[in-house]
Amino acid sequence: MMASLVGSFSWLLAQATEVEDKLSLDSQILAEQFYFFTVVIMWLIHVGFMAYEAGAARRKNIMSTAIKNILTIAVVTPTFYYFGWYIYGCFEHGGPAQGHAGPDPEFPGFCGATAPWADAMGPNLQDHVSAVFFLAFLLFSWTTASILSGALIERVRLSAYLILGSLLGSAVWIMDAAWGWSAGGWLTTRFGFHDSIASAVVHGVAGAFTLGVLLNLGPRIGKYDLAGRARTFRAHNTHLTLMGLMLIFTGFYGFYAACLVIQSTITPGWLNIYLSPTTLGAIAFVITFGFAGGFTGGWIASKGDPFWTLSGGLAGVISVSAGADVYHPSLAYLLSITGGMFAVYVGTWIERALRIDDAVGAVAVHGFTGFYGVFLVGIFAGGYPTGVNNVPVSFGGQMIGILTFIPLGFLPGYAASWVLKKLNLLRVPPEVELEGLDMAEFQQDFFPEFERVPETVVLPTGEEVEAAPILLEGLAQTNGHRVGVGVSEERRTP
Amino acid sequence: MIDSFPFDEWSDDIGGFWTFWSEDKTGTYIMTVLGIIVMLAAFAYWVWLENRKLAAQAALLRAAGGMPAPGGIPPGPGPSQPPLAGPSTDPGD
Repeated sequence: MMASLVGSFSWLLAQATEVEDKLSLDSQILAEQFYFFTVVIMWLIHVGFMAYEAGAARRKNIMSTAIKNILTIAVVTPTFYYFGWYIYGCFEHGGPAQGHAGPDPEFPGFCGATAPWADAMGPNLQDHVSAVFFLAFLLFSWTTASILSGALIERVRLSAYLILGSLLGSAVWIMDAAWGWSAGGWLTTRFGFHDSIASAVVHGVAGAFTLGVLLNLGPRIGKYDLAGRARTFRAHNTHLTLMGLMLIFTGFYGFYAACLVIQSTITPGWLNIYLSPTTLGAIAFVITFGFAGGFTGGWIASKGDPFWTLSGGLAGVISVSAGADVYHPSLAYLLSITGGMFAVYVGTWIERALRIDDAVGAVAVHGFTGFYGVFLVGIFAGGYPTGVNNVPVSFGGQMIGILTFIPLGFLPGYAASWVLKKLNLLRVPPEVELEGLDMAEFQQDFFPEFERVPETVVLPTGEEVEAAPILLEGLAQTNGHRVGVGVSEERRTP
Repeated sequence: MIDSFPFDEWSDDIGGFWTFWSEDKTGTYIMTVLGIIVMLAAFAYWVWLENRKLAAQAALLRAAGGMPAPGGIPPGPGPSQPPLAGPSTDPGD
């Protein structure tokens, strides 16, 4: 009798263990599928960036603009695989971890698992999560480079952009992610820094980096008149730009979802990147209301300009992303209206008062609203516990994050573009810029069956005139010198 | 000659070198280093090729003695410089 009971108990125990193993495997495979499909959806962000920027370019620069977005994938993928992921895994405490044990007590082996030769970084039947988690972060990295891309169009060298984009996508942003967008990052564990869907971590830092590059790159020829007033270049296809933005918005749902952590046999449900509980529905509420409020704010502030209305939607979402796991939909709606409005005002101020030629308003839409989003969390979500140690969110902690990330983004962008400028590798020659980059890069016009009409430009007065005299005058003002390079500087370089 | 190559005898070693299933990581380390070298070489080639294209086009425009209409197609049929990109169109190739 006793032996029979013991036998039955052993059998039940074996069955329970087997069920537990199968459940764990199922959970891992579900997590694997989840991240895989977020990556598929996030591809749309890059389709969108390509359409958005190509539409914003003048006809003579279409392909040279679009190819930047495609080659972003060619350069950021290997650089992030070989260097970027290791930075995320091993630099959470500021500098590199000693050994490969990793500084994060929640994931003690994570640092070692991020090296390119680690078992987790290739086919591994025992690990269903690491590879797809890496891929989700890789897509975030492409996004940071694409934010830079649009601001520089129509005068930056493709090769210069690829170098700068790799630096941003595979070193700069992932460093700030290690510090403030991980459960073990020093900003998280010491200050309760809270940026759940990466307002500043992705967008703010990319915007600060872009600003540093724009200061060295200089404006497009003819952008400003002698009084410093801004002229406007007509986008060759605003419909394409708007469609690109809508594709970016679609991809953002994948981006939002990929920022969460799910593995049901380890955690009780959805967690944010700091391993605090949340739900997929909570962030879906916020992103959707973020778009609604952002479109409204952009429309109001720009008085109905289609480009800024849609850019306002992007700005609205970015301004509420940092608190997307905790905001009420109504709060997200109200805050995103202000984000959409501020993006328009700041973008106009950068263009007209600072005289910085940001072709798509990236510094305002991504940079300003990214940091604005983190700032808002300090006000509206103060005291909310962040991370496994439940460190409360505070206004001071959010400000420390902002003051850390602005120089972390700006200085590498400024320094790297300054070096490229000194080497005369940052900007295309002025003659080529005037003719259009597509002829130099590809020796062809990409609308060969359509007759060319004279290029136009909108004056500060609002009058649209033929561009040729203005652009030739702008070229003459360079006196054959490279735009964005001082004459005295140029004399020193061969 | 090919029949004498010891595929069966060496297959485990070769597979272990090139793929992830072996405990020996030598092949993985070598491929990582090679990948980084190729990546850096690709960057250098991008810079060099683009510099060549831009310099050629700028020289062509300066030699023409005047600028084409901004955004306009340079006069004459075909590309304004010998193709630097794409397959050769020379029928002799």
